Amino acid sequence: MERNRLITMIEIAIMAGLSVILSYIEFGALWAFGGSISLVMVPIFIMAFRRGWQAGFVTGLLVGIVSLLTGGYVVHPVQLVLDYPLAFAVLGLGGVFVFHKTVTIGRIFGGLLLGTSLRLVCHFLSGVIWFGSYAPEGTPVALYSLVYNLSYLVPEMLITAAVLVFLKKTAPTFYKQSIQANHRSASFNN
Amino acid sequence: MMEKMIFGRYLPLESPIHQLDPRAKLLFTFGFVVVVFLANNVVTYATLAAFTLMLVYLSKINLRFLLSGLRPVIWLIAFTFLLHIFLTREGDVLVKVGFLEIYEGGLRQGVFISLRFLLLILVTSLLTLTTSPISITDGLETLLQPFKKLKLPVHELALMMSISLRFIPTLMDETDKIIKAQAARGADFSSGPIKERVKAVVPLLIPLFVSAFKRAEELAIAMEARGYRGGEGRTKYRLLHWRWKDTVAVCLLLLLAVVLWRLRS
Repeated sequence: MERNRLITMIEIAIMAGLSVILSYIEFGALWAFGGSISLVMVPIFIMAFRRGWQAGFVTGLLVGIVSLLTGGYVVHPVQLVLDYPLAFAVLGLGGVFVFHKTVTIGRIFGGLLLGTSLRLVCHFLSGVIWFGSYAPEGTPVALYSLVYNLSYLVPEMLITAAVLVFLKKTAPTFYKQSIQANHRSASFNN
Repeated sequence: MMEKMIFGRYLPLESPIHQLDPRAKLLFTFGFVVVVFLANNVVTYATLAAFTLMLVYLSKINLRFLLSGLRPVIWLIAFTFLLHIFLTREGDVLVKVGFLEIYEGGLRQGVFISLRFLLLILVTSLLTLTTSPISITDGLETLLQPFKKLKLPVHELALMMSISLRFIPTLMDETDKIIKAQAARGADFSSGPIKERVKAVVPLLIPLFVSAFKRAEELAIAMEARGYRGGEGRTKYRLLHWRWKDTVAVCLLLLLAVVLWRLRS
């Protein structure tokens, strides 16, 4: 098994674990259902910036599944997929702006915006589908879903952005895969 | 901050449900999530409720404990209930207070929908309460085997999930330790303006991430030293056994589906 691939896999696993832990540390009010403001997105974006969008995608996927197994709520079969594995996995796609490029604040914001918008789409669709099957006909389900999901995703995105920018200044190496490890793996393979 | 983190909800008890194969429980739960939507009248909802209560009884988990897990969603259930009470206009008017009218259909829909919420959440929590996350991972790995043909890295995903679950308690201790260390040096995570709180969190994250990356590299070396070469030909330490009880559980769900299908209006 190629060394770098193994390290990437384990980094994904451990960062996903950290992400789940960070999701328990909440900022501000606890919301009525599910979404609360936390740093859950930070490790997912770091993995996406560091190892590419595929790694970010898998990190998010794991975060979704692990949080589902340890205290998620299932109210609809579609919601099960959209709100947990998929919503976090798509965050990883934000890596396309940053991976293998010079990390700039602009690119960080671009990646963050892309990832969070895709997450919003997942939660929004999920809300429309499951709440639509619960609420009486004529309820403006789409509006409710949009307002509710924006209400915590926007502040969460801003906090994540602040943290990612701080980290760029203080610990820029997080966004680049360790050159040392690459070098060593090369010598192992020979 | 850390007291809130009660991770994982598995209750290790001895019950018929605990002893089922995780694959059977996973299939059962996914099936149930779909089957619930078949119910649409009093008889079918009563059948579902009775079935769920039977499961709770068999699992030997205190119903009060289970219901206390609903606290975070109680507002959502109440909100949906009220929407139905006031917005569904079917059948006879039951109560009229000023401009508010409560219809019979609204009350019925409200009760049904709240019940659906309750039953779904009860049954899905039963899965995580009676099955340890690691057995669920093992179960998922075997259930997803067919997707290997589509080049889905099932083994790798299951491995990453087990590592993740294995390290969460360790990482949690570490997080706790770093929070205390930073608090001892005067960091304040829980009060002050949001900007200060975000700033305070950065010195917490840096050591956490540094040690996570270091841990990953060490673990990779340890795994390589023990001859890890990916999923090919790897044998398992924990083996899953499918028994007749598991077949019964899955058949029971099919039976429930058929009964609901016949009774629904």
